[in-house]
Amino acid sequence: MRLLARIWEAITSITRPPNAATLFRRADLYRQEGRFEEAAELVAQGLRLQPNNGVGHLLSAYLHLAFRQIGPAKAEFQTVLGVDPYHPRALLGLARIALEERDLAACRPFLDKALQYYPDFPEARALQEMVAGWADVGVPAGQRPAYAGPPLAMERLKPPAAGREFVLTQADGTLVFSQQGDKDAEDLAAHVTQVYRIAAATLARAGLGALRRGIVQATTETTFFRSNDRLILALTFPQDVKIGFGLLETDKMWTNSLRELGVRA
Amino acid sequence: MSAEPVPPGQPVAGTAPLAAASRSSRAREFRRILAEMLRIDRVRGGLVVAADGLVITSSVPRNIAIEPLAALTATLGRELEAGGDRLKRSTFHTALFSADDGTLFLGACPVGFVVVLGDREVNVGLVQWALRKALATLEGTWGARDQVPATPEEM
Repeated sequence: MRLLARIWEAITSITRPPNAATLFRRADLYRQEGRFEEAAELVAQGLRLQPNNGVGHLLSAYLHLAFRQIGPAKAEFQTVLGVDPYHPRALLGLARIALEERDLAACRPFLDKALQYYPDFPEARALQEMVAGWADVGVPAGQRPAYAGPPLAMERLKPPAAGREFVLTQADGTLVFSQQGDKDAEDLAAHVTQVYRIAAATLARAGLGALRRGIVQATTETTFFRSNDRLILALTFPQDVKIGFGLLETDKMWTNSLRELGVRA
Repeated sequence: MSAEPVPPGQPVAGTAPLAAASRSSRAREFRRILAEMLRIDRVRGGLVVAADGLVITSSVPRNIAIEPLAALTATLGRELEAGGDRLKRSTFHTALFSADDGTLFLGACPVGFVVVLGDREVNVGLVQWALRKALATLEGTWGARDQVPATPEEM
């Protein structure tokens, strides 16, 4: 009789619909394999069974991030924090979103809170160390610190014919010189500074030393970066630019900029 | 939600058996792509990381902690994507950042970002070409294939 019961249990466990925990476990496996669509389907099924399940909402947040859906990811992380205000991974998720939104004032408390109870949380620690010395580049245009160094002769910093969006900033995000109008220039300077800071931190973390050059290729444009510890230069060309030409022209602009600023290369 | 918060370093919904992960062809494809990149002379490591910072596959020197590196590379990749969007630029594809002791290569794909670490002497053109090829393969898994030149010299 007991044997029959066990056989019956084994059969029904195969045919029985999976519970929410099983669905979330399977979803997490799929997620770790990069099978986000299947994972999202399982998470949706699981949340239909258990709408207030924190693991489900956390997975949902991760999957929204993986699909680059920032608003829904943020809402899901907040739902997790509604259940557990110190959930370290939800705090890290919100910190990363705040960083992406250039809201340093919001980012720092999330990281501090995550590390308060989990001081050995390596991802949160890495981000906290990265943002520790940053000045806020996300402040509204017009309220950012103005460049107070020697004036630059615009005619001597003319980019090559195909070059555009030439911008020179200090490592703290202060705009030194730009080819564009004020508002656009400040947004561009904020982006260039942010890329420089994160790339510099990543290179340091990989044991590769201080950032010197960068090339960013997009569908219709290629941007070249040059930097030292204090200055960052970015110059953009159409996508079909020869890399050698772009590097050469960026180097020329870099040398001219340093000369204009009275800085030794 | 479970009473215990998910500790850092643990999967969110229990322990993921590696055997199950290895059954996936997509997971195998990521590992194959990374292995190909690692065969290039002077390439020291690499990883495939989701946009949320999850490490999908990796191989880095022992002295490099993988989770912090993944968190930073995903953040960098997202800044390149989102920052570009904010400036109304076109879609971000690849980037490289050179430092005193090596170069970091980063490419965006639907699953997240492919990252390659090369030392000071790495052949930048060759890695860029191989990375674009890898990204095209990944794109093929999800959608339209990108056009990649037949050789690095044609780039």
